[in-house]
Amino acid sequence: MSPKTIQFQLGLGACLAAAFLVLWAIPNWVSSPSNVSNIVLAPVFWPYALSGITGLVGLGLLLAARGASSAPDAEAEPAAADGLSWMRLGALAIIMVATMFALPRLGMVWTAMIVFVLTAFLFRTRHPLTALICAVVIPLALYLFFAKVAGVAIPQGIFVRLP
Amino acid sequence: MSFIDSLMAGLSLVASVEAFLALFVGIVIGVIGGAIPGLSATMAVALTLPFTFSMQPITGILLLLGVYKGGIFGGCIPAILIKTPGTPASSATILDGHPMAERGEAGRALGMALWASCTADLVSNLALILFAGWLASFALNFGPPEFFALILFSLTIIAGVSGDSLLRGALSALLGLMLATVGLDLVYGTNRFTFGDPNMMGGLNFIAVLIGLFAIPEIIAMAWNPTAHLGKARALGNAKVTIKDYIGSFRSIIRGSLIGVFLGSIPGIGAAPSAFLSYSEARRKSKNKANFGKGEIEGVAASEAGNNGVAGATLIPLLALGVPGDVITAIIIGAFMVHGLQPGPMMFILNVDIIYGLFIGLIVSSVFLFIVGSVAIKGFRFVADVPKRILMPAVLILCIYGVFAVNNNIFDVGVMFAMGWVGYAMMRYRIPAAPFLIAFILGPLLEDNFRQSMLMSGSDPSILLRGPITWFFWAMTLLTIAAIGRAIARKQAV
Repeated sequence: MSPKTIQFQLGLGACLAAAFLVLWAIPNWVSSPSNVSNIVLAPVFWPYALSGITGLVGLGLLLAARGASSAPDAEAEPAAADGLSWMRLGALAIIMVATMFALPRLGMVWTAMIVFVLTAFLFRTRHPLTALICAVVIPLALYLFFAKVAGVAIPQGIFVRLP
Repeated sequence: MSFIDSLMAGLSLVASVEAFLALFVGIVIGVIGGAIPGLSATMAVALTLPFTFSMQPITGILLLLGVYKGGIFGGCIPAILIKTPGTPASSATILDGHPMAERGEAGRALGMALWASCTADLVSNLALILFAGWLASFALNFGPPEFFALILFSLTIIAGVSGDSLLRGALSALLGLMLATVGLDLVYGTNRFTFGDPNMMGGLNFIAVLIGLFAIPEIIAMAWNPTAHLGKARALGNAKVTIKDYIGSFRSIIRGSLIGVFLGSIPGIGAAPSAFLSYSEARRKSKNKANFGKGEIEGVAASEAGNNGVAGATLIPLLALGVPGDVITAIIIGAFMVHGLQPGPMMFILNVDIIYGLFIGLIVSSVFLFIVGSVAIKGFRFVADVPKRILMPAVLILCIYGVFAVNNNIFDVGVMFAMGWVGYAMMRYRIPAAPFLIAFILGPLLEDNFRQSMLMSGSDPSILLRGPITWFFWAMTLLTIAAIGRAIARKQAV
């Protein structure tokens, strides 16, 4: 992506977000008591003010896009190692969503072990044995610290409970 | 309480093996974290934060301060050896540090970086001790209008951490301010963007947001390209830094330290601009200015003094005013809050023992930094050898445990993941994350003080200009905006 495209997309996104907030989100999702006479003190004042400024910044970005360079920006579009980059991103997103479901059911330690192995192999580790050892040792060490030293009630899950 | 009484109270609090061990371990973690490119001092502090929950407040905060100081120094190691700054603050060190490494003088460059860092750290700590108490006693006169003006001024300084586009920095700050509105309203207790979920009523957890914003995007970036980090470290070489090198660079070190103290005490500027300013000043004043950029040891000294001079000074606004000096101190505020402490002028009255305990710990930290840094220079090869494709899954697991431990709430882990993707999108769109975090922290304070001012005055906005303190901060805000406008105009003219 070129700086011009980035500025344009951001500007458009900011304007649309501001419009969405002002027209839909704030009226529906921010409650304000009916007896507040002065808008400045109302709970909706701050979100409306921020939305307005966001819209202005969005317009500023759109204006700035006109003078921005059209040459590709290497930092904004980092080189992919291969054609599977988007698939790996998708897989990582699935791992994260699955983690949220697994944490209360499997418990944090077992979930962490599985997540470690999956991500290490997703990142194509060249040290699979080390990854497997770390996948067991690190979650257990963290469990020992947080559960036994810090007194945190680490989720144990419904299948295998740790002492 | 007299100065001696306060000092003794602080000493009684900090004079324990645990406190000094925490400081030492913190510096070790910080140096390692700073020395691993992609981990950064910010992430190291964020990841260490959950471990402090079970500690005594002074021990936990000293641990984090150790990580902070170690991290800022540690960033110079990969900057010199592999031309990759471990932290943004070390970017200026590359200019002369890496050319020195190229000609086999990496050990000398790292040695000078350590000496300059420790000197600047000491100067910065002394400045903190001298000025924080004075500023705090002054800030006791502040009411909501004064705090509103101060926080607004702090927000304008976000320009300093906005990178190459002020508008993108402003957009980032606005996102942070907007996200800070989630939860129950501060005055009326009504719902704002909570969607009826009790987890949202207290607002989004600060630690989940910051870890999501700073640590998770690096993990996602690794999924995008798992081999992007592969590089080659340089050998240390036989050349070592000498006393003559140190004396030759001493003026630049002290100048850089003072620049760091000045810029660090202004909220929001941070270490990177200080390092570059110190470097350019050293270059302007040096007899060897022609060698700068080609491997001049004075350049390494100046840039490291500049960035480490900030480390103590950023705590001046944090402790005296309750306003973070940079992103890392913004995270450290979290540790204060978790332990039921509210940084600000009242802390100098209610928790003076902790304040002086921190001062003592910080002075000792300069000595510890020298010891740990000397070992780290030789041992970096082992740190560099940690495979990043093992490290990142470990960081992910640590994030999950750490964020859960804040409130024993799985919902926070979800917030962290969601913020991670937001942070990654921001990275791809070149939106800086630092303004987001600073605004997320300052947002509720800004709104709270604004609404309190309006309640005090019956919605008369003239209260926001009620006295010399507010005039001062409004003037500073306008001056900053004018300076930003001038800088933009100059940039466009080039």
